[in-house]
Amino acid sequence: MGAVHAEFLKLKRSLAWTVVALLPAAMAVAGAVNTIAAGQQPEDGWHTVWLRSAVFYGLFPLATGIGILASLVWRVEHRGGNWNALMSGPVSSLRIVAAKAAVVAVLAAAMQAVLLAAVIAVGRLAFALPGMPPARYFWISLLIMLACVPVAVLQSGLSMLMRSFAGPIAVAFLGAAAAVVMLMAELPAAVLVPYALIGRATQLGTGTFGDTGAITPWAVATTAIAAVVLTAALTAATTAVLNRRDTRA
Amino acid sequence: MSHIVATDGLTKRYGKRAVVQNLDLRVPTGCVYGFLGPNGSGKSTTMKMLLSLVQPSSGEVRVMGRPMNRATRRRLLADIGSLIESPPGYAHLTGRENMRLVQRTLGLPEGQVEHAVRTVRMHQQLDKRVRDYSLGMKQRLGIAMALARRPRLLILDEPTNGLDPAGIEEIRELLRRLADAGVTVMVSSHLLGEIDRTATMLGILSGGRLIFQGTRAELLAASTPDVLIDGSEPERANALLQAETGSRLDGASVRVPGLDDKATARAVALLVGAGIGVHGVRRDEQSLEDVFMDLTGGGGL
Ligand SMILES: Nc1ncnc2c1ncn2[C@@H]1O[C@H](COP(=O)(O)OP(=O)(O)OP(=O)(O)O)[C@@H](O)[C@H]1O
Ligand SMILES: [Mg+2]
Repeated sequence: MGAVHAEFLKLKRSLAWTVVALLPAAMAVAGAVNTIAAGQQPEDGWHTVWLRSAVFYGLFPLATGIGILASLVWRVEHRGGNWNALMSGPVSSLRIVAAKAAVVAVLAAAMQAVLLAAVIAVGRLAFALPGMPPARYFWISLLIMLACVPVAVLQSGLSMLMRSFAGPIAVAFLGAAAAVVMLMAELPAAVLVPYALIGRATQLGTGTFGDTGAITPWAVATTAIAAVVLTAALTAATTAVLNRRDTRA
Repeated sequence: MSHIVATDGLTKRYGKRAVVQNLDLRVPTGCVYGFLGPNGSGKSTTMKMLLSLVQPSSGEVRVMGRPMNRATRRRLLADIGSLIESPPGYAHLTGRENMRLVQRTLGLPEGQVEHAVRTVRMHQQLDKRVRDYSLGMKQRLGIAMALARRPRLLILDEPTNGLDPAGIEEIRELLRRLADAGVTVMVSSHLLGEIDRTATMLGILSGGRLIFQGTRAELLAASTPDVLIDGSEPERANALLQAETGSRLDGASVRVPGLDDKATARAVALLVGAGIGVHGVRRDEQSLEDVFMDLTGGGGL
């Protein structure tokens, strides 16, 4: 736990918190502004507010946002003597990889919590909806948080291996684009692509893609199982790469 | 065990180019080992191999009597503090926060971290952010981070690089104190003057090869100071000696490099035989710096 705690200490005064707060909030507000500008009311109440916030968010901004968070978290390690210092500690590669990925995953989960809070705020303040959204949006949020974990591991790994700040973010964007194509084509292999996993989880119950119109136990279970398996596989792969690599000059 | 670091045939190739070749380093336990070499001679690469940050192309590293490799590095690194290429430290955090990070990551008692900070005399400056530190303060914080784990071996790559004379003296004094406290210190530099009085052992690297290893006294003894010959006809004397010895005119004298005592006697006999009036033969006083320059061919860049 020491390593993860240390990683969170490094986030003090980090831009990552700004990303966590602003990106999902901006999505929810933009959804509300569009609705109001079109002179519409959310006919389906909370469901409409959710659709207008989460659908687009889940297609591109979420993956890109995780990419930005991972690059921010790793940026400090690529400066000065920090990389050499990090790698010359009596700490295993697995611990380095897992601690950073855990931080990115927690930040991604925090983004989802902000999105949910923003949906509630928009529903109540902009559209005067009564009460709280149905419980299923809370459960879907939990599933999205889980689906974000393999993407966090992957992006953290890319930002670890690439010194470039923007490179891994571009990969996230392209990955999300490829995922949308795969989900539209309903390719079964999409379940093996981390970016498609968050696409799938965020669109649960929205009817965006053919197979995600209904929240079935099957859809939830495959998403959750894929998230766990991909997380383990990507963590092992990243650790193996770090183990075999020379540090750069 | 007498050598805390020992390498055999240590070699690193990048592509076809060997940047470190066949190094047999011997760092005696308890010494300050000055690891010298011009820019690009392979000091950092060697130190990275000692820490298993870079894997050797061939050869072996033994640290504290045990082989250093991917499988053993984690345990060995618990006893090695290091600072490679540039000082670590998260610029957006304060010195104190950086030290806390080290403590958390390695699970160290607070007192140990505190002691490391006091050793480098940084306890007054811990509340500034590292980005506002001077280079000397960054180096000292970096050394504190390396010392926090109470290492038996400290590997410092150019800790005096870019420091002013006062800063350099502070680091030297710190290294002496550490050695007195029983820590073996291996310190690199491209300037002999920065470490020669602190180091009790010297290793000199040039073009990736270890061209000297031993004490200061051995280094001086290993070199042959130039002979200066004064005589009646310096030009003619130089012409007579040049082909064989590589001599050159130096003011009114002829400077002849690399002559041992016998060769000096022969050269004088040659000149006298040619009718030149030799009235002075002396050895040039040579500083350690000259020896270093001779050995490394004038020092890189
Ligand atoms: N990853 C790498 N790939 C290719 N060449 C490298 C790599 N790392 C170092 N080199 C080369 O190896 C040589 C030795 O580099 P090294 O950094 O070890 O020298 P150094 O003695 O530390 O120099 P300096 O005094 O400039 O720090 C240099 O010519 C460098 O260009
Ligand atoms: Mg170097």
